[in-house]
Amino acid sequence: MKGHWLSAVAASALLVCGLAACGTGTPNSTAGGLQIWEGYTGAEGKAFAHLLAEWNAKHPAEKVTSLYVDNDDSLPKLLTAVKGGSQPDIAYVYGSWAPNVAQIPEVVNLTKVVQRPGVDWSDFWVGERDVATVNGKVIGIPALVDNLAVVYNKTLFAAAGLQPPGPNWTWDQFIADAKVLTVPAKKQFGTAYVTPGSEDTVWHWEALLWEAGGEILNASNTKAAFDSPAGLQSLDTLRTMAVTDKSMYLDPTDSEYANLFNSGKIGMLVTGPWDLSGFPAVKYGVQIMPSYPGTNGGHQTISGPDNWVIFNNGSKRVAAAESFLLWLTATPQATYFSLHTGDLPIRQSVENSPGFEQKMDQALPGVDTFITNLGNVKQARPQLPTYPKVSTILGQMIVSVLLGKTQPQAALASAAQQVNQALASGSSS
Amino acid sequence: MAVRAVLERRAQPGRRRQPGRPARPKAREQAAGWAFVTPAVVLIMLFGVVPIVWSAVMSFQRNNLFSPNTPFVGLANYRQMLHDPVIAQAIGHTIVYTALFVPGTMLVGIFLAVAMNRKIRFISVYRTAAYATMAISTISEALVFIWLFDPSYGIVNYLFHLVGIPQQQFLSSTSEALYVIVIMTIWGWTGFAVVVYLAALQGIPQALTEAAAIDGAGRWATFRRITLPLLSPASLFLVVWLTINALQLFDEVYLSTQGGPLNSTTVLVYYLYQQAFGGANFNFGYASAIAYFLFVIIIVFTAIQFRVGRRLVHYRS
Amino acid sequence: MAAPITAATTAAPVTPAALPGRHRVRLPFSPWHLVLVPATIVLIFPFFWLVITSIETPAEALRFPPILTPHHLDFSNYTQALQAAPFGRFFINSAVVAVTTVVANVVMCSLAGYAFARYRFLGRGLLFALMMTTLMVPFQVTMIPQYIITKWLGIYVVGEFGLNHIGALIVPNAATAFGVFFLRQFFRTLPIEYEEAARVDGANRLVVFWRIVLPLAGPALSTLAALTFLDSWNNFLWPLIAVNQTNQMTLPLGLATFQSAHSTEWTLLMAGNVMSLIPIMIVFFAAQRYFVRSAAATGLTGI
Repeated sequence: MKGHWLSAVAASALLVCGLAACGTGTPNSTAGGLQIWEGYTGAEGKAFAHLLAEWNAKHPAEKVTSLYVDNDDSLPKLLTAVKGGSQPDIAYVYGSWAPNVAQIPEVVNLTKVVQRPGVDWSDFWVGERDVATVNGKVIGIPALVDNLAVVYNKTLFAAAGLQPPGPNWTWDQFIADAKVLTVPAKKQFGTAYVTPGSEDTVWHWEALLWEAGGEILNASNTKAAFDSPAGLQSLDTLRTMAVTDKSMYLDPTDSEYANLFNSGKIGMLVTGPWDLSGFPAVKYGVQIMPSYPGTNGGHQTISGPDNWVIFNNGSKRVAAAESFLLWLTATPQATYFSLHTGDLPIRQSVENSPGFEQKMDQALPGVDTFITNLGNVKQARPQLPTYPKVSTILGQMIVSVLLGKTQPQAALASAAQQVNQALASGSSS
Repeated sequence: MAVRAVLERRAQPGRRRQPGRPARPKAREQAAGWAFVTPAVVLIMLFGVVPIVWSAVMSFQRNNLFSPNTPFVGLANYRQMLHDPVIAQAIGHTIVYTALFVPGTMLVGIFLAVAMNRKIRFISVYRTAAYATMAISTISEALVFIWLFDPSYGIVNYLFHLVGIPQQQFLSSTSEALYVIVIMTIWGWTGFAVVVYLAALQGIPQALTEAAAIDGAGRWATFRRITLPLLSPASLFLVVWLTINALQLFDEVYLSTQGGPLNSTTVLVYYLYQQAFGGANFNFGYASAIAYFLFVIIIVFTAIQFRVGRRLVHYRS
Repeated sequence: MAAPITAATTAAPVTPAALPGRHRVRLPFSPWHLVLVPATIVLIFPFFWLVITSIETPAEALRFPPILTPHHLDFSNYTQALQAAPFGRFFINSAVVAVTTVVANVVMCSLAGYAFARYRFLGRGLLFALMMTTLMVPFQVTMIPQYIITKWLGIYVVGEFGLNHIGALIVPNAATAFGVFFLRQFFRTLPIEYEEAARVDGANRLVVFWRIVLPLAGPALSTLAALTFLDSWNNFLWPLIAVNQTNQMTLPLGLATFQSAHSTEWTLLMAGNVMSLIPIMIVFFAAQRYFVRSAAATGLTGI
């Protein structure tokens, strides 16, 4: 009895070592149903289920079953599964995680696969291809594409006597419109911005930076490039609205802004097509992003594509997964999915098919502007494993300017210094 | 009382044993003790202690969860904590939060439990209402409080406006956001405190409080001299458990402010989650190191509480 | 003990001998209601909001500030929610997991808690401290090792305890340090005389525990049962990473299907939340009534 607890400690020590050793797991090589993890709900869920059923009917030997995993929660689940050796065959992965996901050894290299005849890799938008490629290696097949544009409340514009935004509008016009649309007595704001400091905060600003002709990092991704006149101009735009004009509602929750817009309290929003179905109570219009005259940024916008990633659970399963994904993302299926969900087409050929845009716009008014706006996506965010660190620094910079705590010039300089440090030390982690 | 008994025992050197109480536990008692604890202990060791030891190992590695390459780096993660400016902030916020949340919840809990410890009409409804706050999912709780404290549209600012207090920024303010979270979580934990105190109050024989009333003691004096000391085991339990939870605050921060604005609500567990999964760095080794640092803080707090408890808590045996 | 008390505490509060010159306002109800009603409103308010949102149309639900007096009611949110995913299955899974976890906890933690409170055995202090430490490291850090251990358990020990089985959701939580701690504190408050008397009479330890101590532990056991049920019912993160098949999901995972990254179906989510709350409220209501009965039955008088 006395030595009881001592031996218990010894046993658990052995257990830990033993388990640590088998922690790497063994890939299961039984060819059987494939498993795909995705986060589709509502209309997307139904459309995906339909396509899945179609595939399973035609390919009973390569059946695919899906598991719903909310995309925001999928990373801890995915990483745990990988560490435990129980990863799925295919998973839906946010594009912003791509540079890190590429480091997982079980992720299949699809570079040769996408070059196969009939796949037409260049038919996918350039933003998508950039995000699916890390260091020259293709690690995913595009699953979703979107972009940012301006959604505005037609009723509020008319009530304020303002002309609705035109395709050649500028940021000065945006600022002026926002000011007119802000009516403190009615608790109405011209525009809104999300301030949790996360990537959502950051990518909205990056669109402005690009429109001002600026860059996030230098060409070799070794130093910050955003502390430039373009950076100053874009940050100043935000500051004018948030601090000086007070025409910008600051939303720390990342979800209130949409409900506020739907309640007619916000004049204009910079957001994506996913929000459109959340505005049933508002007569809204969609316009492309404004530009900064005198710069070469044009009406550029930013896109946040996501990928399907394949995990290696044995060559048979990989082959089956590849054929499933190539089928799923082929033009006919992609067209079906877009038409039934309102999601932007992942292929240019889908956009070009006759009658497509009209049909989309009938189902979801305003989405055709987002579709044509895909042509305004010229570049992607840096595909670096250290980008998340850069994003955090940028997020703090933007929020501190929006809250009036720092001046743009100083904020940019300080953020650039931190980013340079992060990039320098990042290569070793 | 307990203290005096111990002193009496020490003062009589000739009598080292009280009758009926052996100095060494008998073999039978040992066996019974071990037999009784084994089922729970095996499970808790396997699923609790082993992962903790494992995490300790991870805290000495450079581990980003994506690549299989996890080299040992000794104390590098811990040293990184010393140079991380956000860690100091996170520690501060965690401690301020705990210092407000724990006493706050206990006070509200004991007040409501005393109020509910009587057989008046609707008492089951009131009690169920208190428990209900525990049942509500954290996301619903977060959503309601975000709305209540919204700077433009929330009720709290509206009430302030009626009374003449200027509009506050609450969750958008670096100085106020943490306090809003304190209020939110006190609300969420009130039910638990009420449940614990009610169960304890139900165990206090009414004969005692009646005897005090007969002797002429006022209600407050009865409460202070009789009820509170008899509630001290429950209070100790609550203070320990609430502190352990407060120091590990995560869900409400994740669902409402996400550590913002500008890290003003970043607490230690939220920060380590950001380091591990939140896209800040995917640095699981560092996250494990932070978790261990917090672990030490919690152990210290808990040990202090038990020590103090030994002197102040009155067990009826 | 119960009988003489109830008569005195039903309606108006007991007042000490009336002092001359002091007016006592006699309310037709206990003044405690004046405290409890506002407190209850503050506590219940979010539920009210939840229920209202669950019967609103999306047009009115997607508003900020929220509309609390909707013009159109839509009860179909409940039927839509039930049809959106196999909620019947999720409900059964949650129920099985919760009930089993509660029973396992009550049995194992009461045995262990009692031993820690009353028996002296070598290593007691160290073991108790070691178990307490399991409460002090956040789950986000221990979940990966726990996942691997569960997987190992399923492969090498008992299949049903491993991943992809309901057992994986039960076994890791079948005994918690919280339960042991809570019950140990409680058992220490019981007067030891009864147990000692029974031992002197010749009863063995198990009988003492079973016949004397457990009946006295009613309030604490039902509290632990209610809390464990709640924890198990609402547990999200562990089922999220341990369950890989839709037909093993529990209710919280099922509710998550209404919340995707960019769009949340608020009306369905709230309807689902309300339905998920009902079993918890039933359990709590039942548990708190048991408190009163068993506390009155303890018959403890004096110290």
